[in-house]
Amino acid sequence: MRRFRIILAGLFCLTALTVHAAHTEVRLILSANPAQPGDTIWVGVDLQMEPGWHTYWKNPGAAGMATKIEWELPPGVTAGDIQWPLPEKLPPVEVTTYGYNDEVMLLVPLKLDAGLNPGPLDLKAKVSWLECKEQCVPGSADAAITLNVGTETKPSDDAATIELWKSKTPQINGRIPCNASWDKPPDNDSRPLTISCQPSPTAKNATYDSADFFPYASDEFEVQAATDVLSADSTAIRLRKVVKKYSGDWPPEISGVLVTETGNLRTGFEVKIPVIGDTTAAAATGNEVSAAPAPSLPANATAPALPTQPLWRMLLYAFIGGLILNIMPCVLPVIALKILGFVGESRSNPQHVRTLGLVYALGVLVSFLALAAVIIGVKAAGHYAGWGMQFGSPVFVVCLTTLVLLVALNLFGVFEVTLGGRALDAAGGLASKHGAPGAFFNGVLATALATPCTAPFLSIALGFAFAQKAPLIVLTFLAVGAGLAAPYVALSWNPAWLKLLPKPGAWMEKFKIAMGFPMLATAVWLFNLAAGSYGKSVLWLGVFLVIVAFAAWIFGEFVQRGRVGRGLAFVITLILLVGGYAFALESQLQWRQPLAAPDSTGSLKESVGGIEWQRWSPAAVAAAQADGRPVLVDFTADWCLTCQVNKKTSIEIPSVRAKLKAMNAVALLGDYTRFPDTITAELNHFNRAGVPLVLVYSKDPAAPPIVLPEILTPEIVLNALNGTITAASGINYILVGIAILIVAAGGLLYLRRRG
Amino acid sequence: MITVMKTIFAFVTALSLTSAALAAEIGKPAPDFTGTDINGKTVKLGDYKGRIVVLESYNSDCPFCHNQYATGATQDLQKELAAKGVVWLLVNSVNPNNFSHRTPAQAREEWTAKKIAATAWLDDSTGAIGHLYDMKTTPHTFVIDKNGVLVYDGAIDNKPDPEHDPRTARNYVREAVDALLAGKPVEVSQTKPYGCGVKYAD
Repeated sequence: MRRFRIILAGLFCLTALTVHAAHTEVRLILSANPAQPGDTIWVGVDLQMEPGWHTYWKNPGAAGMATKIEWELPPGVTAGDIQWPLPEKLPPVEVTTYGYNDEVMLLVPLKLDAGLNPGPLDLKAKVSWLECKEQCVPGSADAAITLNVGTETKPSDDAATIELWKSKTPQINGRIPCNASWDKPPDNDSRPLTISCQPSPTAKNATYDSADFFPYASDEFEVQAATDVLSADSTAIRLRKVVKKYSGDWPPEISGVLVTETGNLRTGFEVKIPVIGDTTAAAATGNEVSAAPAPSLPANATAPALPTQPLWRMLLYAFIGGLILNIMPCVLPVIALKILGFVGESRSNPQHVRTLGLVYALGVLVSFLALAAVIIGVKAAGHYAGWGMQFGSPVFVVCLTTLVLLVALNLFGVFEVTLGGRALDAAGGLASKHGAPGAFFNGVLATALATPCTAPFLSIALGFAFAQKAPLIVLTFLAVGAGLAAPYVALSWNPAWLKLLPKPGAWMEKFKIAMGFPMLATAVWLFNLAAGSYGKSVLWLGVFLVIVAFAAWIFGEFVQRGRVGRGLAFVITLILLVGGYAFALESQLQWRQPLAAPDSTGSLKESVGGIEWQRWSPAAVAAAQADGRPVLVDFTADWCLTCQVNKKTSIEIPSVRAKLKAMNAVALLGDYTRFPDTITAELNHFNRAGVPLVLVYSKDPAAPPIVLPEILTPEIVLNALNGTITAASGINYILVGIAILIVAAGGLLYLRRRG
Repeated sequence: MITVMKTIFAFVTALSLTSAALAAEIGKPAPDFTGTDINGKTVKLGDYKGRIVVLESYNSDCPFCHNQYATGATQDLQKELAAKGVVWLLVNSVNPNNFSHRTPAQAREEWTAKKIAATAWLDDSTGAIGHLYDMKTTPHTFVIDKNGVLVYDGAIDNKPDPEHDPRTARNYVREAVDALLAGKPVEVSQTKPYGCGVKYAD
């Protein structure tokens, strides 16, 4: 009985297998028959699938199984590796696999030993596969064919079929140079990667509709199936893929098949792609205009040798960059405050002045530490990080607008910031205002306002820092902070210089009020930034600011300076602030839900007769170059003051407009205001941590773009458009000169004090 | 000054909140879910805190799963681990229009016929649990420790083949559970899952 049941079960199994395996049929064909000893011929393993059924490629993808061939060959015949025709990507998207519908012929080279005796030889293969439609079934079959070994090699009747399938296998010596680089730090175990390939010169006139990369399988990692095509034309193919790591390190190389598509024609090229490490330092030195690393390199070349910058030099750049930040437009309002502070302090105890200088430096350094912490946190969370990124956050902009308005009101004397909460006489008020908390606050404010500007040297140091691990980010940021604070620390250690300033007196009250206006202008500028995120509702931010101003006045007039009813006034202040916040910001503006970043297309022309800006994308650059047109790219942001100054003085000017027109150049604008990832990735490509970044691509697609310095003059832009890249050294020297002067002045004054 | 500090603090907090992912990640708390098993009983992952939980994306029509169960290897493993207090949940996310879908009655029949020794078979024909854990294939397995932290995500073993003897393969689930029970770190915490597509609802 038991035996009967086993037999029955066996029968069932057999029936099941026969029925299931019928979805795919296997046969062998030969490229030549007869063939002479010593030759290599091809055997085709043909799999015919029923409609709707498919089998898999050598890398089946997220599921499935590669077809296997086990040969049973007579002595003297050796089978080589399977040549796989280009597969298709098979749905569903969330479990993408690579495989074949309808039919595939796997090609295997057979080497015939020179010593083979003539006569018929039986070639046998056990082929096993997984076939899937709505469900998957394993299949296997034995296939055989007889080869006649003779005195000559003659193409068989199937030779043309084999040739046809051979043309569908990826070109092995396709010579498409590719490289790849990580776009950002890992997000847990996933990491985006951009693959850049340069099709061969012979394919120059080919136009591709699309491109893709089919990876070979690895146990350690998986290049996921989803592909963002950044550009696909005859000069550059750029694809973004995501690598998921299972174990080990991030791969230094990935291999697979690059697929180009033109109409219905798909062509595969086998490629080995070196992955450039993420610890390469900035390529540029100093402030010189430098050629960017070439977008792609031959696959067999080593990773591009970006010169590694010694750490001390980067820290020096960071320090000098911080120094120069002091004279950038962003920090000017705070400089006014500092001047006032020094006047007030000039008659104080030198020891006290020194302490205040150090406290100011501490405020700057602590703020830079906070910034570094944000950057490290953002990077650790797998997001892009960049200099000035907090200005991409409307919430931050609203907070800073309110704060700067309060500073202006304070300078106007509407209210006081004193720890005692009681107004003092003018001189005493200033002294207390510029006590330790005031100095610390100045440091924080200087940092907060400094970040929308980058300065020469600074962008190089930051570009370096942002690609580093946490300790180096902290170190670089501290160096920038030290640079920013250095002049004041130097001055505060030299009371002799302070004696040159006018004596404190009634004029100071007027000067203080006058200094409120640059601060108010800063608030207006910030308000304008917020408008971009809230549209017309930004009115409610204005309403809120008025309420805050009113509350500040009640606080100053009736709480701080009042004699009676101070408690009531304090309550009214609180009600105004809380009510104003709840009504204007929360209910009307809905400030924590800003509008989505605008995604308009079309002309971005700013004025009649202005440059015809078009929206930047890698594809737009490639398209323009394919048309043989040079390209000017301006990566900018509303909050980037350096960018605005560059645009007004050196880009949107008649001579540059005329030059662009004469060259038939394309002008592309990359708007970084809301911090889009695509632009961060592009900035990272050029080792920059933020805007401004201005690039000039010549019409020769093979030539790398010219990277313009952070601070532009009309000459620099015009020369870059002409293809000469020497103009920047002049301004470079000037800036180095300024930096050295600042340091030297501080040092001299220090020495004088001691002498 | 306080405002600025608060602003910076709020900014850092906001950023860290947006980055808190909801998906299943090694070393992070495994996302909780509530499902219905084939006997109509409600099963909540959170209720198993204090016990090790194994999740297996299951579809016995898939040759890879079929092989694991036809050889009896997985049932033996389920029994072995159950004796150590481990919970094993089968998650069947095949959509109702697919040939391989099982109604609760069919599933109960299959449970008996295959002598499945798991804790429960969850009917996930909506794909909610499958998508929550980003289950790629059948069988795709997950191991969650006693504190509810995901410690393994990947293939059931190292032989991506529907015809091997699973008993001779290196079983990553057993390895992870044994390491947890011995108080040792899980050596292999992630592998590429192999098998058939899950056949999710569109």
